[in-house]
Amino acid sequence: MTRRVVVTGAGVVSPLGHSPAALHQALAERRSARRPIELFATAGIGCHEAGEIRPFDARAWVGERNLRPLDRTGRLLVVAAQLALADSGWSAELRARHEVGLVLGTMFCSIRTIAEFDRRGLQLGPTHVSPMDFANSVINAAAGQAAIWHGLRGVNSTLAAGEASGLLAIAQAADLIRGGRAAALLAGGAEELCFESFFGLFRAGRLCGSQDPEDPANIAAAGRARESPIPFDARRNGFSLSEGAALLMLEDAEAAAARGAVVQAELAGHGSAFDTSRGGPAGAAAMARAIRIALDDAGVSARDVDWVSASANGSMAGDRNEAAGIAAALGDHAAGLPVTAVKAMLGEALGASGALQAVELIAGLRDGVLPGILGLEATEDGFPLSGLSAETRRLPPGAARCALATALSADGHCSALVFAAPERQGGDFHAAPSGEGPA
Amino acid sequence: MSRRIAVTGLGVVTPVGTGHEEMWRNLLAGRCGFSPVASFDTAAFSVHLGAEVQGFDAAPHVRVLDRERLGRASQFAIAAARLALADAGIDPAAVEGERAGIAMGTTSGEPREVERFDDRFLAGQLDQVGGEFMALYPCQSIAVHVACELGFGGVNTMIPAACAAGNYAIAHAMDVLRAGRAELMLAGGADAFSRITYTGFARLGAIAPERCQPFDRRRKGMIPGEGAGVLVLEPLDSARRRGARIYAELAGYGLSCDAHHMTAAHPEAEGAARAMWRALADAGLAHEAVSYISAHGTGTPTNDRLESLAMRRVYGPASRTPISSVKSMIGHTMGAASAIEAAVCALAVATDRIPPTMNLEEPEDDLDYVPNEARDHRVEVAMNNAYAFGGNNASVILRKVSAAEGGAAP
Repeated sequence: MTRRVVVTGAGVVSPLGHSPAALHQALAERRSARRPIELFATAGIGCHEAGEIRPFDARAWVGERNLRPLDRTGRLLVVAAQLALADSGWSAELRARHEVGLVLGTMFCSIRTIAEFDRRGLQLGPTHVSPMDFANSVINAAAGQAAIWHGLRGVNSTLAAGEASGLLAIAQAADLIRGGRAAALLAGGAEELCFESFFGLFRAGRLCGSQDPEDPANIAAAGRARESPIPFDARRNGFSLSEGAALLMLEDAEAAAARGAVVQAELAGHGSAFDTSRGGPAGAAAMARAIRIALDDAGVSARDVDWVSASANGSMAGDRNEAAGIAAALGDHAAGLPVTAVKAMLGEALGASGALQAVELIAGLRDGVLPGILGLEATEDGFPLSGLSAETRRLPPGAARCALATALSADGHCSALVFAAPERQGGDFHAAPSGEGPA
Repeated sequence: MSRRIAVTGLGVVTPVGTGHEEMWRNLLAGRCGFSPVASFDTAAFSVHLGAEVQGFDAAPHVRVLDRERLGRASQFAIAAARLALADAGIDPAAVEGERAGIAMGTTSGEPREVERFDDRFLAGQLDQVGGEFMALYPCQSIAVHVACELGFGGVNTMIPAACAAGNYAIAHAMDVLRAGRAELMLAGGADAFSRITYTGFARLGAIAPERCQPFDRRRKGMIPGEGAGVLVLEPLDSARRRGARIYAELAGYGLSCDAHHMTAAHPEAEGAARAMWRALADAGLAHEAVSYISAHGTGTPTNDRLESLAMRRVYGPASRTPISSVKSMIGHTMGAASAIEAAVCALAVATDRIPPTMNLEEPEDDLDYVPNEARDHRVEVAMNNAYAFGGNNASVILRKVSAAEGGAAP
């Protein structure tokens, strides 16, 4: 009865490359996205580096079409969508005949556009603001702009859940396909780097570099890690802000087969939960709940999971709760299980980060290469996961069949997605869950 | 067979009343909630009216979280959520929190927080910005705060789909319940009155100077507003088991995108019609079955013309299906609008009364816009339409549940 959801393409724009293959290569080489920020002045902020995409000129992809109506988030998304459409073979001609929709995760869309619009109105008066900027001040602006640009007439939804936005957007798209409401959806996330979010997150103490380096408590706890984010490491003290856009093309498996699409992976199941303590110790239980729901939804057991792609970004509570949640949900199987944390290199791209994780995970399903955690030296006493590696690893041939992507937002959103390699379609992963007969 | 979903509780915070009883009384009486904007100085504008929620007191509603650390939209949302749960006879403390979720829509999230940031930016006082900016501003904080206030640890979704966001959130909650991912969902939308929104619509020439006249030939625009609407949604069978009052069944929805223009609707209303057709198909209904249409009806020249065209395309040129826009009284509450209007539809279905389109003197055409007076009318099925920036279209259908099935007696 339930439709199956497959991935037939991906598009990515990131500080570490603009294709899934380039990103995978950079992550395998553990190249850091951190570089001095040039997009805006950082004078007066105690932190000067981020994962800025540079150079980024959307015209390199989209040609001479008028880009003026698009802000940076819109441009990142339009390019990622173009790449994902091309990768999956959804030509303009095909899109004219069949609806394609979009489910986008983002935290701010463009807080820069919103704030600059407001400031212009205050400084010059309300008659001097630009109607075009106002159109981009709504949080679903990028999704709307991408729909116009690429003729996406299907469902157009935007979802905001901080660092979990990207995975939750992919999950929502999967349910729309399973429910027969859409046959083809681009799903993922987009976020731009800008002064407003960088400054705000710095002041909130969330960036690595936010903490006062002169404060003895910080020197004692995390002094050495001050300017580099190290997920799961005992010295972590915040994340490195980043930016990007990443989209998967998700399709109903039968429709994809009918059009002869190449299946890159199957999205076998997903689960979500919310931590009402917002970062308290209860976050681990919520993360575990999301994973159990996802495994159950996919009809797999913990021992089927070959590795986990975690959202850990260097946050104190977040990384601890995510690790504990993974350990609790996977039980004995968690011991020694490879767990990756690509934000060690990529940084935290907020609404885009879950989708970047998903793109990288799918690349790993192809070749078994799991990026190391740059800078990882030692975890805290009692840390529950033993399968972390600072070095990049390669799983034996045939051992990368099923992987779990997890995300935990600072606000408490927990998301887990189960992806399976395409050769397992119709295999034992897809036996009906116990207690549920054929429909 | 899909689970059927019931609407069992309504909570609203609107410019014409907090709580659905007060709002409904005022809507049926044709009272408008407009007054000169109080939350910021409009001296530099050529228009001055707004639909603000006057004298809102969060104290009775916000019992767990610290009110001082909540944006205005979050406060509205918590109030609407508490009112909806009380209306449904549900004690949140008695709910299995892990199976209870939140789906909220918004246009701007907590715009006042970024406006405060901008004030400090321009005053050269960025050093006064602390951690509260990022704690309060991001739009997902609305759904997050409702969940934390109530202890609901299930699905938590924030859908910033602009002025169709309430319908989007309700649609998402319906899928969550149908898929068995929750047993109880609070779904709706919230927005706070915003300088940014007001400036933008004023620049577009879309704000009416004196009154809001949806579907009138001389209409001059919308009146921006604020508020929140929340519906309690649960599976129909469990609602009946617990003896809940059932306002209506959430029978289906349809979404589409124009992919045409960011702020203007498709000239042939193609996407709006597609959303309505899709909602009818989802509910398994023909258009003849619809007894009331709650229109988006902002009162702007373009929206109302194209919306009428869309309704003619779906309902036929000779349609006499009653249509009204409560925005003539409530104004345009942005991301809350279609959630409040979904509550209006639930009340119309439950009570067989239709609120009027006020200030309607010269109708756009000969569709039945229920001008100026509420009407007694059997409402078996109501369709709630909403359209948004980005070309987003969302139609939601509510259907009467017979008394034998536990439906509310009018």
